[in-house]
Amino acid sequence: MGQKTPQIYSVELNGAKDMKQTDKGDDKDKYRGLWSTCLELRKNHHKEHVTKEIDLDDHKLSNKELENKYHTNIVTGLSSTQAAELLARDGPNALSPPQETPEIIKFLKQMVGGFSILLWVGAILCWIAYGIQFSNDKSSSLDNVYLGTVLALVVILTGIFAYYQEAKSTNIMASFSKMIPQQALVIRDSEKKIIPAEQLVVGDIVEIKGGDQIPADIRLLFAQGCKVDNSSLTGESEPQPRSCEFTHDNPLETKNIGFYSTTCLEVSISPVGTATGMVINTGDRTIIGHIASLASGVGNEKTPIATEIEHFVHIVAGVAISIGVLFFIIAVSMKYRVLDSIIFLIGIIVANVPEGLLATVTVTLSLTAKRMAKKNCLVKNLEAVETLGSTSIICSDKTGTLTQNRMTVAHLWFDNQIFMADTSEDHFKQTFDQSSGTWASLSKIITLCNRAEFRPGQERVPIMKRVVVGDASETALLKFSEVVLGDVMEIRKRNHKVAEIPFNSTNKFQLSIHKTDDPTDKRFLMVMKGAPEKILEKCSTIMVNGQEQPLDQSTAEAFYTAYMELGGLGERVLGFCHLYLSADEFPETYSFDVDAMNFPMSNLCFVGLLSMIDPPRSTVPDAITKCRSAGIKVIMVTGDHPITAKAIAKSVGIISANSETVEDIAKRLNIAVEQVNKQDAKAVVVTGMELKDMSEDQLDEVLTSYPEIVFARTSPQQKLIIVEGCQRQDAVVAVTGDGVNDSPALKKADIGIAMGIAGSDAAKNAADMVLLDDNFASIVTGVEEGRLIFDNLKKTIAYTLTKNIAELCPFLIYIIVGVPLPLGTITILFIDLGTDIVPSIALAYEKAESDIMNRKPRHKKKDRLVNKPLAVYSYLHIGLMQSLGAFLVYFTVYAQEGFRPSTLINLRVEWEKDFVNNLEDSYGQEWTRYQRKYLEWTGYTAFFIGIMIQQIADLIIRKTRKNSIFQQGLFRNKVIWVGIASQIIIALILSYGLGSITALNFTMLRPQYWFVAVPHAFLIWVYDEVRKLFIRLYPGSWWDKNMYY
Amino acid sequence: MRRQLRSRRAPVFPHSYRYRLDDQDEVNQNYLADEEEEAEEEARVMVVHNLEEEEEEDEVKEEEEKNEEEGQGQPTSNTWWRKLQIMNEYLWDPEKRMSLARTGQSWSLILVIYFFFYASLAAVITLCMYTLFLTIGPYMPTFTERVKPPGVMIRPFAHSLNFNFNVSEPDTWQHYVISLNGFLQGYNDSLQEEMNIDCPPGQYFIQDGNEDEDKKACQFKRSFLKNCSGLEDPTFGYSTGQPCILLKMNRIVGFRPELGDPVKVSCKVQRGDENDIRSINYYPESASFDLRYYPYYGKMTHVNYTSPLVAMHFTDVVKNQAVPVQCQLKGKGIINDVINDRFVGRIIFTLNIET
Repeated sequence: MGQKTPQIYSVELNGAKDMKQTDKGDDKDKYRGLWSTCLELRKNHHKEHVTKEIDLDDHKLSNKELENKYHTNIVTGLSSTQAAELLARDGPNALSPPQETPEIIKFLKQMVGGFSILLWVGAILCWIAYGIQFSNDKSSSLDNVYLGTVLALVVILTGIFAYYQEAKSTNIMASFSKMIPQQALVIRDSEKKIIPAEQLVVGDIVEIKGGDQIPADIRLLFAQGCKVDNSSLTGESEPQPRSCEFTHDNPLETKNIGFYSTTCLEVSISPVGTATGMVINTGDRTIIGHIASLASGVGNEKTPIATEIEHFVHIVAGVAISIGVLFFIIAVSMKYRVLDSIIFLIGIIVANVPEGLLATVTVTLSLTAKRMAKKNCLVKNLEAVETLGSTSIICSDKTGTLTQNRMTVAHLWFDNQIFMADTSEDHFKQTFDQSSGTWASLSKIITLCNRAEFRPGQERVPIMKRVVVGDASETALLKFSEVVLGDVMEIRKRNHKVAEIPFNSTNKFQLSIHKTDDPTDKRFLMVMKGAPEKILEKCSTIMVNGQEQPLDQSTAEAFYTAYMELGGLGERVLGFCHLYLSADEFPETYSFDVDAMNFPMSNLCFVGLLSMIDPPRSTVPDAITKCRSAGIKVIMVTGDHPITAKAIAKSVGIISANSETVEDIAKRLNIAVEQVNKQDAKAVVVTGMELKDMSEDQLDEVLTSYPEIVFARTSPQQKLIIVEGCQRQDAVVAVTGDGVNDSPALKKADIGIAMGIAGSDAAKNAADMVLLDDNFASIVTGVEEGRLIFDNLKKTIAYTLTKNIAELCPFLIYIIVGVPLPLGTITILFIDLGTDIVPSIALAYEKAESDIMNRKPRHKKKDRLVNKPLAVYSYLHIGLMQSLGAFLVYFTVYAQEGFRPSTLINLRVEWEKDFVNNLEDSYGQEWTRYQRKYLEWTGYTAFFIGIMIQQIADLIIRKTRKNSIFQQGLFRNKVIWVGIASQIIIALILSYGLGSITALNFTMLRPQYWFVAVPHAFLIWVYDEVRKLFIRLYPGSWWDKNMYY
Repeated sequence: MRRQLRSRRAPVFPHSYRYRLDDQDEVNQNYLADEEEEAEEEARVMVVHNLEEEEEEDEVKEEEEKNEEEGQGQPTSNTWWRKLQIMNEYLWDPEKRMSLARTGQSWSLILVIYFFFYASLAAVITLCMYTLFLTIGPYMPTFTERVKPPGVMIRPFAHSLNFNFNVSEPDTWQHYVISLNGFLQGYNDSLQEEMNIDCPPGQYFIQDGNEDEDKKACQFKRSFLKNCSGLEDPTFGYSTGQPCILLKMNRIVGFRPELGDPVKVSCKVQRGDENDIRSINYYPESASFDLRYYPYYGKMTHVNYTSPLVAMHFTDVVKNQAVPVQCQLKGKGIINDVINDRFVGRIIFTLNIET
């Protein structure tokens, strides 16, 4: 397997080409076929898919070769006709949108889920039963047809509802992507033209300014001081320099390639202010396009709740079929006709179908989704609501998710001291000592030696939110100085700039010379910043406490210690120095020449260091602590450098303060890495290169043996592998991310969480959930809601299943004992879809029993939604008690009307004969058929009321699974009382309002019958309290294991 | 398998995982080769555990095994065979002496607990039923509103309300005669005189006294029916094409025709020509149920109660055609036009007398 693991950034020319040439649609079909054939094959296929990497060698070619390859000319560009031809051949330069599932398919999908299937089967069985009955007896009752129709209606209506819900969140999503048509400056027919970026073709020569989005994958032909932001592609938060040199075999690493959709941050003004590049790939053939197609090739995982519901359906179907078959056998042996027995069989199976549950679950999920949306978690797929709750591993992207995706000054070093700067998002309160003279000098350098500027017209905008023209570090410095010193532009104006050398990668410094704002001081001030070691080389003195001191060995050492320390934090360190040029040598009229460098470049005065980092969001550490206490492992997966990644991981708590990696231990004990006992290390940082060489088993072991893991320098494909690895551990994996590079992993994950503001469209499309406020802490809310909904769904299902037995028993007794049917089909429907709907939804509002955030995530295979105790307790305990209570009401009604229970036994046949119109009761009275029918309906109503009254008790006991109701608070969940009220009101309406409509089989019931089952209701309550008491008293006992669901 | 991974928690990464890789493969192979052996091994280890824990773990393990298999993608038949084996083992595991993942001890515990639970439930329901019986008297039903107003039945009755017979073919009407004769056995004058008293007509026969006292019943003699009594004409007129049909009102405990007006019976053609029936003779001639037969005190105490009858003698009915007849009860408090119930206060039947 080892050699099969994909290699990062590997280039598989032929394989990839083949893939491209085949028709996309065919490809998919072919693979779909494979998927179903064999799981083993699926894996292989997946590997193939993953290994499909980027086919690119243009970065190795010279300009001449490029011209030949693309039949273009660097100076004159393509001709219009050439371009038009190529455009016709390759299609527009745009990512083809992810294949939209047709709305009708989406709609139909809502109706064939696990639950819906059960209802469909029920409906069809009903119709079959009616068919049998009808072929036997033309006047048979239409009850089965009604039942089947209602079942079908329930599925369709619930489907419509779910579809509507999802469409709504999709609409919210759609409103996010406001695509502004992109323009590109292109040279064609020797002319510069501005055309829509969509019309670019390979071979086009484009010019790019600072701030532009790169319109296609380009090979840079001319670029100076060019920097790009690749964070959306690779996760690197630092700007990446770009030039025209070929620096690396890997197209992603080489400097002469610019990628589609990344941003060019800046280009040196001189000599032309633009970078020129040749388009080498357009549209779906770009790197971004590849990743996007990778995402579309990854199948969506089945949500845990869907699995659970499937499991539940299996249980219900199992129970239904076993009871059905059992009673079929009994019926046959009781000499019922086989045809009747089949009708009974179908009747029993259908009676087991919880008609209302589908609707309830859907509504419950969408209620939670709504609640989560209020807390800025937008759920795209209703079922994903629960997934976060069962999540056991969160694979989080770093940039933009854990961090703010914005360079910020984190530390300063001057006067031999490290100062910390505030890195929080908005509150900029600097606490370091600003009285030192060194700070005055340092702040001046920071302010002046900086080319970044605020876009005008943003005076009202908070400083941290203003848009800045300039690269990330300069921006950070600008904002930092603006906050600390006030109006930077004004300061710059007062200290007029006379000369400047911008930063470039060979110099590694930036320099500018200013007139000072002190009118008495005629000296020029030269300020410089750059790579600390380069800056130090040029210095002979160092400023301490505002005084210049010679730079000796000890101060140099102090500098290196500080430099290493800050570097070790994963921060980007800049050194600052200055020099006042003597007025004699450099009079006011002196003309500085930056090319000739007619000014001193040594013996400067070193002032200080300043380090920047993309700081973690302030809410993240807290959220991670919460995740951890909730038993969720947070793994960082980033494309960024290991050191930065580790530093951020430490600062947000992904690597906790007291845990060490193998390397840390080795360093501390001063031994070789190999000698360290690996069991001592709790944390590990794995780079993409290391991951590349790992087999599946090794990855599994890394994932299981370390509680704290950081993956750095990973490619999108590797993110996928990591997610798969986690899923192999039976974990439910959540992946958070914002970049295009995250989208395959987002899709593969059990739940993909995209950032709403910073997130790319690709990420949002692939995700199941979108954090509207980009706040990682919202995930914690999601986890909490998810766990709560899981618990509450358990309660809802337990509540629903209970009365199922009470609805089934009458039918069984009817078959076996031969009493008049105690409960009719239509009446059952009125319970399932009438009185019980609001209460079961009300359970979704139940508060958690204990701190759900302090327990482990549920085990995918052990902690089922519907487990044995739940089914047994609902069916055989409460359900049975409920049936007894309801039968009591039924017997009471019949007995008081003249039919004592002893008379009822085996009365069925006579009772149902239409021509018997003088059936004698226990008192010798004679009943016509219709009178009996009416009495039967009264019996239905009585049984219905009996169930309803006891369902109130059932509802109350289901509020908790372990705690006493009184601990939970009887009145805390007001919705429960709304539910109870609805139950009673619906029952009242049915009995007294619609009691005269005979088709509904309801009759007006004497008021006293409403209270017959009340003692039973209390009995149920008391019994359940006793159950809970024993569970609390004897945790882990037999009772606990068999009675706690 | 998971346990093993966990126990050898030694992290592999990033150095020297060679040996462990081999190790791992070996484990995998072993695992695949003889899962049963491992299962046994695990079982032995688990004996010390708590009984219930064993259960659960076993279940989980089984599930894992199943998954494992699916993942391995073995030939289908093999998988099914394995599944069958697992199923079999689940039903009865000789090694651990467990059935359905429970040991005998566990099963007996379950049975005992459920026995007590259901015994107490049975006790509760018995108590409830007992209370129920306390509230309802054995002599009088608590409510009678469902059975009121009274329904009507006719005799002879043989599953059908169509009287189809050919006068000249006794076989076609003989069963009516037998049926009527049988029905009227209880009305024989001798029997009635022996069992029941002759109470004054035209007034209710109210018998005060305790509920549980036996009540006397009024005579209704067969001879009251005159021509339809079968005494003079043993064929009840069927042999002459003038059939007798007896009409009986359903018994209702405590029912009393209101205001002292006896309930009358009147028949007519239901649909069609009024003149299809030219004459009907009613016996008793009043065509009514005398008040003395009311009220009825229920079968416990009113043992010999004899339902009064009204005989309709269809002396002149159009022959050779179906004549729908509706016989209605008339009287205060009688409802005879309920749409849904064609037997309350009325009865509809057809006469088709062929000659």
